[in-house]
Amino acid sequence: MLIKASDFISFLQRCGNERIGEYDEIIVPVMSSDEDTLNWKKLDNNLTFSLESSRTVDPLKILYYLFRDSVTDKKYKKSKRLVAGVKACDINALVLLDKAMINEEFVDPSYKYWRETTTVISVDCTTIKDSCHCDLIGGLPYPSRGFDLNLSRIDEYYYITAGSEKGDVLLTLIKQYCSVEAPSDDAVNKINGFRNQIASELRYQNQKYNSRENLRTLKYPAIENWQNNSKDCVGCGACTNICPSCYCLILNDESKAEKFVKVRSYDSCQLHGYARVAGGGNPRPKISQRFRNRYLCKFCYMMDNFEMLGCTGCGRCIDACPAEIDFREVVDKLVNHVDSVISEPPKIKTQTLGRL
Amino acid sequence: MNNLFEVIPAKVFGVDQESPLIRTLHLEPERPISFKTGQFVELTIPGIGEGPFTPSSSHFISDHLDLTVMKTGFVTNYIHQTHVGEKVGLRGPFGSHYPLDKFKGKELLILGGGCGLAPLRSLFMTLLDEVDDYKSITFLAGAKTPNDCIYKDQIDDWRKYSNVNIFRAVDEVPAGQKWDEDVCLVTKLLEKVQIDPKGNPAVVCGPPVMMKFGTLDLLRAGYAEDQIYLSMEKKMYCGFGQCRHCMVGSYYACKDGPVFPYSQIKNEEDIWD
Repeated sequence: MLIKASDFISFLQRCGNERIGEYDEIIVPVMSSDEDTLNWKKLDNNLTFSLESSRTVDPLKILYYLFRDSVTDKKYKKSKRLVAGVKACDINALVLLDKAMINEEFVDPSYKYWRETTTVISVDCTTIKDSCHCDLIGGLPYPSRGFDLNLSRIDEYYYITAGSEKGDVLLTLIKQYCSVEAPSDDAVNKINGFRNQIASELRYQNQKYNSRENLRTLKYPAIENWQNNSKDCVGCGACTNICPSCYCLILNDESKAEKFVKVRSYDSCQLHGYARVAGGGNPRPKISQRFRNRYLCKFCYMMDNFEMLGCTGCGRCIDACPAEIDFREVVDKLVNHVDSVISEPPKIKTQTLGRL
Repeated sequence: MNNLFEVIPAKVFGVDQESPLIRTLHLEPERPISFKTGQFVELTIPGIGEGPFTPSSSHFISDHLDLTVMKTGFVTNYIHQTHVGEKVGLRGPFGSHYPLDKFKGKELLILGGGCGLAPLRSLFMTLLDEVDDYKSITFLAGAKTPNDCIYKDQIDDWRKYSNVNIFRAVDEVPAGQKWDEDVCLVTKLLEKVQIDPKGNPAVVCGPPVMMKFGTLDLLRAGYAEDQIYLSMEKKMYCGFGQCRHCMVGSYYACKDGPVFPYSQIKNEEDIWD
């Protein structure tokens, strides 16, 4: 289905102004004044937004898994929300977050609420950022699953694909307000051509990095190798907070009127007290150990837990790092690290033992 | 599905000061909490914080439960200031439990030290409720000094069962304290045990260093790796695998554990830290 891009934009604006579709909130990426970064903003009258381009500064998770959110005694009102301009990397992260937060054993009430009330419109990437590297972890700069509607830009048009029931409903609504046309074979070819072009630009940008195979070998380099790579790390936790798929939380009691409610906020495995237990025991007291934990979590532990990588290649951790540590380089140096001590599983030392 | 973050209010109806640093709270939750022995709950002090504790009472009682808590940090300091009649909160139960079915008909060895005796008391009390189902139960309990020993006034009752053996040891006896049982590391008590390790299970809980050497001793004695059950102490923050603080490799201590057979986690890193 093809729709004029300008028609689609004014449709979104009308949704906001005239409550078409009864969306209580419409969230879109807005270019910062220096025209360099995109940020999630609520749509209002005079806002110029840009659906295409590349990913936003903040990950999509901040709209579903709020930085600070109460999880008990909360009343969820009926509402409807539309988020447009989501990129493939964030959509993939949502797939992981869904597995972690809505499953047979556990449901996060707040995440589920936002997930159910939100319709996601994703868009193919039309530009790439220096830190983008979804190609390295087997991703693509356009989504193939997990969206309600997807838009692919082609000249003055968007090619619209519905990916869910919610998407079908929205598409029906769009048809009521905008004229749509069936795409010609030529148009479809053009979209595929453009998608391939962006993908190959991305591969060109990241050609110096190896493709991500044997990621499990990250378990093997000796800690000295991790120390070498984490010398500049200050352990601030920016990388995990900004990661679209990190969801470690900390629980607090917050005083509300006559009772306390549980509030969860983001935590970071990069912080010293993260795994420390009462009495002082800490499995990862050193920065290098915590630095290593993030890589193993992304590539080994989350794979075990969810059968997918915990990294979507969005590159936000690279942009956010105050020490300018490049995630891609670290993985490259330490995967298949042959000259290190390829360790067996850690052995328990057996000295000073009594006999039975 | 229940909201697992939801706190069940519970009334403190009794407090036993077991040792200078350890006390047992007797709690009455507003609705029964049916746990299986070995599982843990999160105890909340409203407005202060919460921590994971394994009940130390039998799992056949769900409307009351005991929690034995050592004063060792911020939250436990507040727990030690609670009084009878106060309201606290509980979440849970969470995690894996001791596989009692696999213990039945066997000669069970229980090895514990310090505050690690809390979950073991729960196991032991649960076993006592069906004591004839087990061939024998041998409980080795350790503490630093006689004053640090917990459940002192219950030991004599426990010793009355014909198929129950209890050996206790303290690391040292400071001047002025009395002790007429063994003075050694608790793992040394294994020398007194006359159980054929083949096919029989052992349960270990205690400070990390004790668990480590206890496990190694049991392995040396011939216990099979999958017959040694460990109660792992990690930072179980949420209780259901969501916060990821307690991960042991890709296992969650809160969800896959806290009770692990040694064979399951022996290759994971930092298990004793």
